[in-house]
Amino acid sequence: MINCILHTKTRAGAQERGAIRVSLRRVGRVGIKFREFNLLAFKEGFVMKGRATRLILVIALGFLALLWGPLGFAADKIVLGVPTSLTFLEGEESLKAVQLAVSEINAKGGVKVGDGMLQIQVETIDIRDAAPGVPVPEALLGLEKIILEKKVNAIVVGPFRSEALMAGMDIIAKYKVPMLGTIAMSPASQKKLMEAPDKYKYIFRVCLNAKYFVGYLIGTMKYLNEQFGFNKVFIMNQDVAWARATADIMIKNFFAKAGWEVIGQETYPTGSSDFSAGLMKAKTKGAQVILPVFDMPQSGILVKQWNGMRAPALIAGFISPLAGPGAWQTFEGKIGGAMNAIFELGNIPASKYPPATKFYEAYEKKYGKPIESGHGPAPAYESVYLLAAAIERAGSLDADKIVDELKKSDQQGVMGQIKFDESNQVIYGNDPQKEAIGCVYQWTNDGKRVIVFPSSVAEASIELPDFVKSAK
Amino acid sequence: MFLGTLIYGFINGVILALVAMGFNLTFGISGVANFSYGAIYIFAGFLTWTIFHTLALPYILACVLSIICAALLGALMYRFVLLRLRGMVVSEVIATFAIGLAILEAFRYMGFIGFKYTLPVFWDGSVDLWGVYVDYQRLAIVGIGLLLTVFLYFFIHHTRIGLAFRGIAQDEQTALSLGIHSDWIATLSVAFGAGLSAIAAVAILPLGTISVGGGYDVLVNALAVCIVGGLGSAIGVVLASFLIGYAQMITSTYLGASWVMIVSLVAILIILVIKPSGLFGKQKELEERI
Repeated sequence: MINCILHTKTRAGAQERGAIRVSLRRVGRVGIKFREFNLLAFKEGFVMKGRATRLILVIALGFLALLWGPLGFAADKIVLGVPTSLTFLEGEESLKAVQLAVSEINAKGGVKVGDGMLQIQVETIDIRDAAPGVPVPEALLGLEKIILEKKVNAIVVGPFRSEALMAGMDIIAKYKVPMLGTIAMSPASQKKLMEAPDKYKYIFRVCLNAKYFVGYLIGTMKYLNEQFGFNKVFIMNQDVAWARATADIMIKNFFAKAGWEVIGQETYPTGSSDFSAGLMKAKTKGAQVILPVFDMPQSGILVKQWNGMRAPALIAGFISPLAGPGAWQTFEGKIGGAMNAIFELGNIPASKYPPATKFYEAYEKKYGKPIESGHGPAPAYESVYLLAAAIERAGSLDADKIVDELKKSDQQGVMGQIKFDESNQVIYGNDPQKEAIGCVYQWTNDGKRVIVFPSSVAEASIELPDFVKSAK
Repeated sequence: MFLGTLIYGFINGVILALVAMGFNLTFGISGVANFSYGAIYIFAGFLTWTIFHTLALPYILACVLSIICAALLGALMYRFVLLRLRGMVVSEVIATFAIGLAILEAFRYMGFIGFKYTLPVFWDGSVDLWGVYVDYQRLAIVGIGLLLTVFLYFFIHHTRIGLAFRGIAQDEQTALSLGIHSDWIATLSVAFGAGLSAIAAVAILPLGTISVGGGYDVLVNALAVCIVGGLGSAIGVVLASFLIGYAQMITSTYLGASWVMIVSLVAILIILVIKPSGLFGKQKELEERI
């Protein structure tokens, strides 16, 4: 019927033909739309497929990037981690010493690794293990964080407290990162290493330990006995692992055997600020020598009180705040006559050993002020050079190869001749031409520090304060 | 050694009394808790050091300025924080403790750590007291402590402002009805307390070094003295200072320095168990009144 009307030249036929045209146009538009939709869908599909492809590609690349390190692809720098108590003097100055060494090495082109030269980059984290009240597990979170997030190739300085070091050894062993410690001193870490040498072989100590520190104290006590006839000592130590160990070793290994009388011992919690009772005891019981072993900032009060109370005993030991030249002004000149240990040469200049003076002066020139800490900066500086040399010999950033080369280290440094023993501890002695050395100095009454022990670097002999009398 | 313990125990007692005086004034007398007291003590110390070393002003001027600034800090703290928490003791404690924590940790963050932060003594030298050497600074602390104790006694008993302090502690509503502007008096009380804390700081800190951790120790000691002596009692605070001071010195001399830190805390525990209002406390607990 429609066909009949469609082809007639009648009005109805024209109307039908018009309607069909409209319909066709509509169909056409729909068709176009349908076509467009198809195209769009095709395009969308293409895009969708494209996005999925790109996503898969990105994930794959990311996965490859994660594997980059373990697969040993070439790195563009050496990342050196410094996790320690950065707000404490020893930690702060150790970091500066590390940065000094790094800037010197980078200025010369960096470290030769294989055929290329790599610059060193320093990453830091303040683990606050030295602050009173900070639990060890909290400090170790920082150690693990710097290893995992910064992908460090090695660690220098390390934990401040031996308690944190002991617990951190397992983290170091787990992630196989070479660590050259320059602050924590307890020999217990070496004992732990010797019990499982393959597991803990990544842990080295460049600073001296309590055993070597005791050696210098013993040498000083012997000298005091020979020169002045002193043989009565009162020990005042901080209640931390290294200080307790030092006091115990001195009592068992020297005083008891050498005929000295230990007339008393006081142990002070970190943060203590009143030493008057201990000084009164020392005075009442006739002490000739007071042996202090402290690293807390408040321990400087001990010397002020010693001077104020005129306790007639020579102070000879280690009080961290007394170590640097700034102590004279800080304690208003009341420290004349006090003897203090410097754990590693280089932290104090030595007229008889120029490399120590060179480092000391380079530090002062770079930072505008001298080293105030008696422990930490020199071995921290040395550690960077030890590591650089080991990496160059190994020709790789592989941890096991670096460790093998570190063990073979034998070089002249700012502290003396640097060599490790079988427990990865630098060997300390009394001659900087043969071993690394520490020293003991005395404050003069005009504010100078003069080295008095060992004889290889001694600049003067010991002088007694006016209120301390010789026993000879 | 006994004579030395006696003399240094006495000095220790005066130091504790000096430390606790300002805290007692605000918490015990005016009823306003200021647990940032230790932080204000350290703030005064660091401010004096900064003014003296960085601005190179005369030391006595640095001390006076830091005392004024500490008092202003106390006043601002009350005006902008404590005023809104007035009457809610627990909230006052939490807020002021938080402020104290923020002040102390801000100093730590800014690098005020180390042994170089020391204040010079007023007079150098020491005197021989029957064979026991005591430095002049400690004698100065004894003098300042005695003067302040006498001053405080007369201030709170014989001046309008001092009586107003006591009034708002006894009954704030009644004090208001008598025309005492409680907020203004409380502001003054906190400012005075902060100022006394600063005076204690410039007197005591030259004995050692200024350390952030010292702020927490000051708060614990001040709290112990006020709780043992009894809130609201100046005589109680003085007596408690000497009790705890001698306890610390005897512990250090005959037991060991490691035990000294717990003396204050043990004293708080004992007094809360035996007599919660303190030795001379006026605000007796219900159990004590029955």
